[in-house]
Parts: sequence; structure tokens; C-alpha cells
Amino acid sequence: MASIQVRINGEMRAMEVDPQMPLLWAIRDFAGLTGTKFGCGIGQCGACTVHLDGVAVKSCTLPVSVVQGKSITTIEGLSADHSHPLQQAWIEEQVPQCGYCQSGQIMTAAALLKKNPHPSDKEVSNAMSGVYCRCGTYPRIRKAITKAITLSKS
Amino acid sequence: MKKINRREFIQLSALASGGLLVIGVAPSEGGEQKIVNLSANGGQSLNQFISIGADNHVILYNHRPEMGQGTFESMPMILAEELEVDINNVEIRPSEANESLYGSQMVVGSRSVQSEFMILRKMGAAARTMLVAAAAQKWSVPETECAAKAGMVVHESGMQVTYGELVEVASKMKAPENPKLKDPKSFTIIGRSTRRQDIPVKTNGKAIFGIDVKVPGMKYACIEHCPVWLGKIGSYDKNAALKVSGVTHVEVTQRTVWGRKVDAVAVLGDNYWSAMQGKKALNIQWDANGLDGISSATIMSQFREEAKKPGEILHSVGDAESVFQKGGTLVEASYELPYQAHVPMEPMNVVVNMTENAAEFWGSTQHPNGVRTFLSTKYGIPRENVRINYTFMGGGFGRRSMTDVVEEAADLSLKVNAPVKLIWPREEDQTQGPFRNCSLNVCRAVLNGDGSIEALEHKIVTQEINNQTGDNNKAGRQIMGGVTTEYQIPNMTVRGVLQKLHIPISYWRAVYHSTNPFAHESFIDELSVKAGKDPLEFRMSMMQNHERYNRLLNETMRITNWKSGKKPGTGRGVALVERSGAHFVMVVEVQKKEGMIRPVKVTTVIDVGTCVNPDTVKAQVEGSVIMGLGAVYAGLTVNNGRITEQNFDRYPILKFNQCPEIETHILESTGAPDGAGEAGLPTIAPAFANAIFDLTGRRIRRLPMTQEDLKA
Ligand code: FES
Ligand code: FES
Repeated sequence: MASIQVRINGEMRAMEVDPQMPLLWAIRDFAGLTGTKFGCGIGQCGACTVHLDGVAVKSCTLPVSVVQGKSITTIEGLSADHSHPLQQAWIEEQVPQCGYCQSGQIMTAAALLKKNPHPSDKEVSNAMSGVYCRCGTYPRIRKAITKAITLSKS
Repeated sequence: MKKINRREFIQLSALASGGLLVIGVAPSEGGEQKIVNLSANGGQSLNQFISIGADNHVILYNHRPEMGQGTFESMPMILAEELEVDINNVEIRPSEANESLYGSQMVVGSRSVQSEFMILRKMGAAARTMLVAAAAQKWSVPETECAAKAGMVVHESGMQVTYGELVEVASKMKAPENPKLKDPKSFTIIGRSTRRQDIPVKTNGKAIFGIDVKVPGMKYACIEHCPVWLGKIGSYDKNAALKVSGVTHVEVTQRTVWGRKVDAVAVLGDNYWSAMQGKKALNIQWDANGLDGISSATIMSQFREEAKKPGEILHSVGDAESVFQKGGTLVEASYELPYQAHVPMEPMNVVVNMTENAAEFWGSTQHPNGVRTFLSTKYGIPRENVRINYTFMGGGFGRRSMTDVVEEAADLSLKVNAPVKLIWPREEDQTQGPFRNCSLNVCRAVLNGDGSIEALEHKIVTQEINNQTGDNNKAGRQIMGGVTTEYQIPNMTVRGVLQKLHIPISYWRAVYHSTNPFAHESFIDELSVKAGKDPLEFRMSMMQNHERYNRLLNETMRITNWKSGKKPGTGRGVALVERSGAHFVMVVEVQKKEGMIRPVKVTTVIDVGTCVNPDTVKAQVEGSVIMGLGAVYAGLTVNNGRITEQNFDRYPILKFNQCPEIETHILESTGAPDGAGEAGLPTIAPAFANAIFDLTGRRIRRLPMTQEDLKA
């Protein structure tokens, strides 16, 4: 057990946890933020994607000790009022089906656009291929990312 | 359990301050749809589909769990259409789970819209009729001079009044027995794409899935089952697990799958990570129980041997057998498909709390009523003491219609005397099944001189979901799902040779439609090649008398510019299917890309009868194409009695960069609505394989396709 200090969505939190515990479970079971999902636990599906100092990471394989003193953003903290261009575009394009993978999809896309506001199709494909969607919302995700790029321009 | 055959309208008037009009249906045992005024009962404990407050707040209840298929919006849309309210201005709420109030709430087989369409329309119409009558009364004018529109009743003179102002009077009225339904031509909601109200919460982390439920005092459980199905628990190190910080219990539990008991060991703790670590520390030694000799190869060779048997005749037209005996141009081919796992993105999980004479369930389920029945029957708890709280599901695909995981959690809850949240690790989900069946399909046909089919036989060698144990070894009609019998072939036989294995199978999206059409539609393609005919025209020639297919095939030809030929460097393949009443024709276009053959475009032309929400239907087609394509590229392998592909690294579902362009055309129809959630899946594998043949001359008869198969 160790006391881990992490800034989650701007708020400093101290958690008494096993330092080896993956960040995913610290976020879900200790910080009580359930928007970040468990899909595979082996870093394959991206359902657990959050931002670590602005970069997309798969939280299921990242020991919480690694994030000591760092800043984490989860889907709940992506925007104050859910008005991030991607969130708006996701609604406009009616992307989610079951919705389970969508936090991971949006967080991955958000990190991509932050780093690269005008990605090529290929760059979008590369970034998004690490997040699985069993419901098959990929065509709409592509459209929504394109739309979000236009939305953020205006 | 009381069998619900028909339902009656019941008007539930809960006259809270200012009035509230509540409309619902209630089950009745026989009898006509008789209107009963139950205002004396208060309405609160009764079912509700529509609730209109004096403040004009309209609530429409969706009684079918949402797993991505879109019933959350499509059920209320049907109510809203007849009620004449703006669907974007109403609140949609999930109903409670209670079959004695709502009838079946099971979501399987793409049936929700199909089965509920009329009753929902009638309820909406009943409420509208009452509101119009209330307005007419208020103004002392004939009802015929009044009309309902966008949450108001309007009089010819221009007078208007909101629904909210009418509910007090309307709630005292008798609900009409046979309210007049709208003319479908005047529909303004049904048939239009609306924005799903469940979508915003699915973009901001607020949607609550089963796995997100937290109840006070809850223990988190992780679990391990024998990797060899029906294996036994050997030894395990309980103390090592208990030493893990946060672990509180180690318990043996059991689930029942098709009557067979399956053992497991669970580790419980104060958080899921502790439980997972505890599970690792158990170091369980499993006893394979002599069942580790089986592998995919042994299963297929058994199936091939069994294919020599005549099996049962499941469908027969004319006399195919005597045509085969006479001889002629014989074409034969067999096709193989592997087991598949359901793999909803949300791993299997439930929360159950068992207390003295009561039980409560929270979670993702396709079958809330089934969970109640199970808990009540197994533990002898009165049905009314079983509370079911269903959440959004992170996918289901058939897996969440079962109660085996509920059983494990209930058992654990009793053992540790606390609510238990059991989450199966992905590895358990993928290796434990029940799986989609594996299948061997043997087809043969005789062609006439003009290339038409004189006789066709399709023999299916597989397991049957409804008959996995016991002594009946005769194949049933269930296993021939997805074999197109509508082709005008003078002599056709479908045979089944039932296989019984200890590996369990279950409903998987589209069920047998996910296996048989790969064989059937590939074989029809092979025959068209042998006959020297264009594959689309060949199909048309056999569907002349089938109105829906005929129209679809013609439209497909037009939409895809079929006659103008394929683009250079591409291959085209076609396949068709009927599933849950929906008729689909699909064209897949393939190209060589970076050394591989890839599907680049999938065009589907569909007839789903009346389409409630076209955008949702399109999403369902996209989703089924993608899931079906995943099953073209990956399958499960049995080795030494266990599944080799334990997690996504070995069993990848389709990825973003593998997704083709998907275009869906919905044909106009005023027919009764069909189920549209699955039919896109059966056609993708054969249409893709047929396109590969078109491009390369290579016929692929086994799934999953290998790298070799797909090499450009
Ligand atoms: S849960 Fe982290 S990548 Fe799948
Ligand atoms: S929306 Fe269901 S898994 Fe992506």
C-alpha cells in the first residue's frame, strides 16, 4: 500500500492503493469515475484510454505508481460541459451504439487532434486502430472526427 | 408463471396534484382488448408507457433494454408518432423490469420493433384520442373539429390548448378500445432519422453500464473456470490468495449451462484489482477430466465422417434425391466455419445481492425477466421479492440472454453474505463460451443444360442450440436458419446431421444465419460460374416470383451500376439473405492493397418493411457488416480441449483501419416492420468470398480466411 497523489480532471487526489494497481482500477474503483472502461486488461482494445499529461495512454497496463504527481484527464474531464468539438460531432454523427468503447474512442481522437489538428486519413486510421468497437461504429467515428476538425475551425 | 397472450389497454390515472395522464397496457389472460379504468389503483405500481403531466412534461417509457440496437429511441418514437408529440421534446426513460406488467422484455433476434409496433401505436393513439376528446369537451365542440398536433389540440377556429391543460379531464376518461390509428402516409416521426436520446450520455462517461454499478457493502469478485470445458477443480492455494491485500474470500461456485454444471473458483475482495491479484495467487491446477483430447481438427474430421450419414430432412421440395441418382452435371463443395465468441466490449459482469427471502440484481442483461425467473426459481424467492435493475449494456450479441453469470454471483452473494459484483476477465469471456457453433456444410447440385439448377442439396453438420444434451439425436429445423429456400429450384433438400459435443454453443448475432449463408450463397455463386451466368442475374432468374427479392435485386443492379461492369483491378461479389423478416442483398467490392485483398466497399440494399428510424437501421447494418467481417478474419481454435485465443491479441475483432466503406440503401415500404439488427451479418462473408473469386479465381470455402487466402 502506498499513498499516490494524482491530479485527475484538475483535482488533486490522494489514493491509498497498491502501487502496482493499474491506473484503470484506481480511476474506477477508488476515484469513482466509471466513464473509463475495462475491455481486455492487456493494452489491446483501448477502452481504458485516458490522457496522461495530455497524451493518450491505455490505463489498464499502467501501474498507478507511474502517474504519481502527474495529471490525468478522463472522459468526465474532457470538457466542462461536454462541449468538446468531438463530443458535439459524436452526437451530430450519431456515433455510439452500445457506447461502451466510446470514452476510449473520444479520448484517443482528442489526443490526436491536440497533437495534430489536421491529421490525414492515414493518421486518423493509425491513431484510431488501437481502439476496438464491437458494435462497429468506425465509419461514423471517421465522419465525426472530420466534422470535429471543421467545428473547431469555426 | 402467468402466460401472457393478449394485453389490454389500461388507463392508469394517478391524479397527483394538477393531474397526470398515464397510459399503459396490462396483461390479460385471454379476452379481447378491453379497456379498464384503473384510476382507483393509483397507477404507480402499474406499468406505464406514456405519462403526461399538467406541466406538459411528457415521459415515454422504453421497456426494452438497450445494448446498442437503438430501441431506447425507436420504441418511444412509435408512441410519439401516434401521440403527436415532438420526440425531441419528451423525456425517454427506461421502464422497470416486470414481465407481469410489460410482457416480455427480452431483446433477441432483432424482434423488439417487429413485435411491439402495433401495441405501441395503439397506446399512443389511445392517449391522443382522449386528449382530443377532453379538448372538445372543454370547448363544447365536436371532436371531429379538433386535431392533435405537437403536444397540443387545435380547433378549426384556431383555438389551441396544450396536452398539459387537458390531462386532468383526460385522466378521468375511459381509454378507447380501438383508437383510430394514423394513416402511415401522414407519419412524421416513423421513417425519419431522429437523434437518439441515449447518445449524449455515451459521449461524456455518464452512461451507466452494469460494470459501473456500485452498491454499499459490495464485494468485487474475479473468477477462473477450467480452460478445458467441464474440467474439475484440482488443487489451489487458498491461503496465498487470502494473503493478497484487499482479498477477503476465496469461494467455489458453479454455473449451469444447458443443464450442465460448470465449476469455478472465485476470489472476492474490496476492489477488483485485489480480486484479480488473488486469482493469480491461487495457482489453480485443473483436472481436465479426460476432455482434453479434442481439437478443432478432430472436430472437423468427426464432422466430415458424420457428413456421410443422410441425416434428417429439414426442408424438401420436389425430389432432389432421384435427380442426383440420374446423374448430370454435378457440382459439389463443402464449407467450414469455426466457433466464435460473442465478445461484447463490456465483459460479462453482474451485481447480485441475496438476502433473506429476497434478491436484487443490477446489470447488463438482454433478458431481465429471465433473470427474475431464474433467481426466483432457483432460490425459492417469491417473484415479487426479486428486484431487477437493468442498465445500458456494453453489447450483448446473444450472450447476455443467459443467466449463468447471475447464478455464480448469486451463489457467491449467499456465501459471503454481501452484494457481489462479479466481473469475468476477458480471458474467461472468450474461452468459456457458450460459443457460436462451428459448422460443416456440404452442398451438391445438378445443373440443367441451360445452366439452371435442377436439384440442390445442402447438408448441415453441426450442433443444435436447443438440443445439446440428452438422447434425441435428430437434427431440428433450428440448424437450417439462413438457408435461402426462396430460390425457385424445382428439387431442393436441406438435411441436418446433429452433432453432440461437450463444448457449449449458444445464440450469437444472427444465430445459424451467421454460418449457413456463407455456404449457401457461396455455393449459389459457384453454380453461377459453372453455368456461365452472371451471379446477380443468376439469382434474379430464380427470384422472379418473389416480389421482395425481385425488387431488391433489381434495385441492387441499378444502385451498384452492376451492368456497366466492374472497375479495373476490382472484384465484385453478391449475396442475399432473409433474417427476422428483413430481406438484404449485399454487394462487396474488393481490391488488392499493399499485397492483400481488401474489401473496399460494401453496398447493401434492404427491405425491412416499415422502417422506424432509418439512421438506427443503417447503424445496425454497419455494425453487423463489421462484426461479420471480423468473423471472416478470426475464429476460435480448440486445442487440447481448450480455446487457444484467450484475449484480443489472438482473436482480434475488426479494427478501424480494416473497415471498408459501407453504404446502405433502405427501400421504401409500408409493410409491417421487420427486424433489422442482424441481417447485415450473414451476407458479408459469402459476398466477400465471392468477390475474391471474382478478382482472383480463388474459391475460399473455410473461415476464418488465412493470410494465404487473402494474399493479393
Ligand atoms: S482495457 Fe485497456 S486496452 Fe483493453
Ligand atoms: S459502441 Fe459498442 S463497442 Fe463501440
